Amino acid sequence: MNILRSQAFSVLRRPLCRRLATTRPFVPPVQAQLVFHDTLFAPGAKELDDNTVDALEAETNEREFEDDDFDANNFQDKAHPDSPNFYTGRSSYYDNIVELQNAISRTRGTLQRLHLLPLPEFAWKCLKPMPTVWKTPEEMTTDFETAMTISRYRKVTALLNELNEYLRIATTAGYADVADRIGSIISIFESGKKEAFLARGVRKPVQLDQYGRSYTFGKRKTSAARVWMIPVKPLSHESGSDVNVEEAFGLSDKPRRPPVNVTVSTILINNLPIAEYFPQPVDRERIVRPLKIAGVLGKYNVFTIVRGGGTTGQSGAVAHGIAKGIFAHEPETGAILKRAKLLRRDPRMVERKKTGLAKARKRYTWVKR
Amino acid sequence: MHSLRPRLSNPVRFSFKFCKNCTRQLSQQAQGPLETENDWTDFQQTRTSLKTLMDAMSQYGSTQTSQWSLRDSLHRPTKDATLSALLASGAHFGHASSRMNPNFLPYAYGTRAGITLIDLDHTLPLLRRAAKVVRAVAANDGQIVFIGTRADIRPVVQKAAQRLGTQGFHVGDRWLPGTLTNKWQMFGHETVRSKRIVPDLVILLNPIQNMNAIQECALSNVPTIAIVDSNVDPRIVMYPIPANDESPRTAEIIAGVLSIAGREGIAIREAETQRMRMAVDSAWEDFNKMQVMQDARQPQRSDAEAFDY
Repeated sequence: MNILRSQAFSVLRRPLCRRLATTRPFVPPVQAQLVFHDTLFAPGAKELDDNTVDALEAETNEREFEDDDFDANNFQDKAHPDSPNFYTGRSSYYDNIVELQNAISRTRGTLQRLHLLPLPEFAWKCLKPMPTVWKTPEEMTTDFETAMTISRYRKVTALLNELNEYLRIATTAGYADVADRIGSIISIFESGKKEAFLARGVRKPVQLDQYGRSYTFGKRKTSAARVWMIPVKPLSHESGSDVNVEEAFGLSDKPRRPPVNVTVSTILINNLPIAEYFPQPVDRERIVRPLKIAGVLGKYNVFTIVRGGGTTGQSGAVAHGIAKGIFAHEPETGAILKRAKLLRRDPRMVERKKTGLAKARKRYTWVKR
Repeated sequence: MHSLRPRLSNPVRFSFKFCKNCTRQLSQQAQGPLETENDWTDFQQTRTSLKTLMDAMSQYGSTQTSQWSLRDSLHRPTKDATLSALLASGAHFGHASSRMNPNFLPYAYGTRAGITLIDLDHTLPLLRRAAKVVRAVAANDGQIVFIGTRADIRPVVQKAAQRLGTQGFHVGDRWLPGTLTNKWQMFGHETVRSKRIVPDLVILLNPIQNMNAIQECALSNVPTIAIVDSNVDPRIVMYPIPANDESPRTAEIIAGVLSIAGREGIAIREAETQRMRMAVDSAWEDFNKMQVMQDARQPQRSDAEAFDY
């Protein structure tokens, strides 16, 4: 051991060179240690005589090593840094990157052995969609102990997306243990607000209350309508008179369409019947249109409270509320109502007046001079 | 005439039918979507059976007499680099002759097609010398840092550092200036006091892009090894290895040789430690035995009798 140590000393710490000739700003590495003698580093060639060299060497050997550049303190007693990425200055970031890369290569190997990779095009389309939301760069900064710049965040999310693809394959093919292992790694980087983010823009389903009523909102321009809808009780079969009219007239043998029992429904707006509240047929048409399109014209009783705006706005708001109510009672009508754009809150509002113009768009009369 | 025609043996004919069935199944599957888990299992089974079939059929193909196979020089590099391996990896291609550094002249073989060719007869002994240095430093518990800051040589330095275990480190992205000269601010007082910050050897695979690192090593008295190309002054590092710095395969070969030498150094250290430990243990055993024998020969006197006040 001592022999090796002395060999190391000879490799790492050699006696002074006789000539240190340099005029360049970049000095070749000095093989002597620690003795910063002014004369040695002066620019220009310098030949040292034997006496000076011996004196300097003696000085070097005698000196007690107090600096930590090279000495016994640095040499054996201290430990090696933990991470192989220590000299990057961002060891935890690169450690995590290496861990993710290792996880990816291990999973890829497993899936290849299970003949699930490479996956043909048609199989990719059959995979379960698994949308994920990763942590924001600010949240990842605490995990990685480094400022997450855009490029670093992109590198990390690219690796995480690849892992997510493998998770999709494993779950769809039914390998729960592989999926669990990948999931445990991915869950570290998933945002806590994932569910909220994925539920963005998704309509909450309207619940019917204990009596089977739906309660929906409708809006148009500056009007807002609260709409309650309840199905009309179906007509009971008529007890029927003793006389069958068709038989009496001899028409019973003719093929007839089956009789349609049409119920009668009421629409009340601010506690007034529709004909009273909306004297204009245009407004009434607008309100009844969603019921006609869905084919449920006499099926529901509607009670509405509407506030704000004028006739068009209020009738549009009621129509919007009714369309949502129909969708709540019968989700199958969703497709046709969507195609007719009745479930959409009409975004058109009164445009503001601009300066220099008479109205929103109307310009003042152009004068040549 | 038909009887003279050579006939295929039965197993082969059966396998051809099986092959046709498999391909038909696969093409059918290509149209149908995979909905249930059973579909996925069938899909996997078809692939497995095809693979088994192909493995079984491969023995009926032609046998290759030559045993040459392309080595994976990243994952399983060789211990010593040969001239042919370096030539094959393009280690002899330098940069444009107009850019040649005059101090590189001793290592230049000549010029062809406007580029400087590097003399690999100089490269090999210098590589061996560098490997000796790495082996010695590793054998003395030295910290060795591999620096390769391009995307294609990042995995090379990572693997090389892995081979050296706790003594190996790598920098695959940018070397932050001040890592060695500004270590107190960079790593914090606690880390600098408790850990060995200054490495014992630095190996650079692309020195031109890491002049900061070379400068800092010089200021901190750290020996350096680097792959120097023809546009670089070889005197910037202690142990230059003249070779093509732009070829990833050359970097794999050179980093492989150096890291394997380092691994050997660690093994030497381990063996030495083991030998010392065993020597100490056996010496201690002998001492105990001697002690026992001595006690058996002479009766022990009590302390009270021994010291006469």
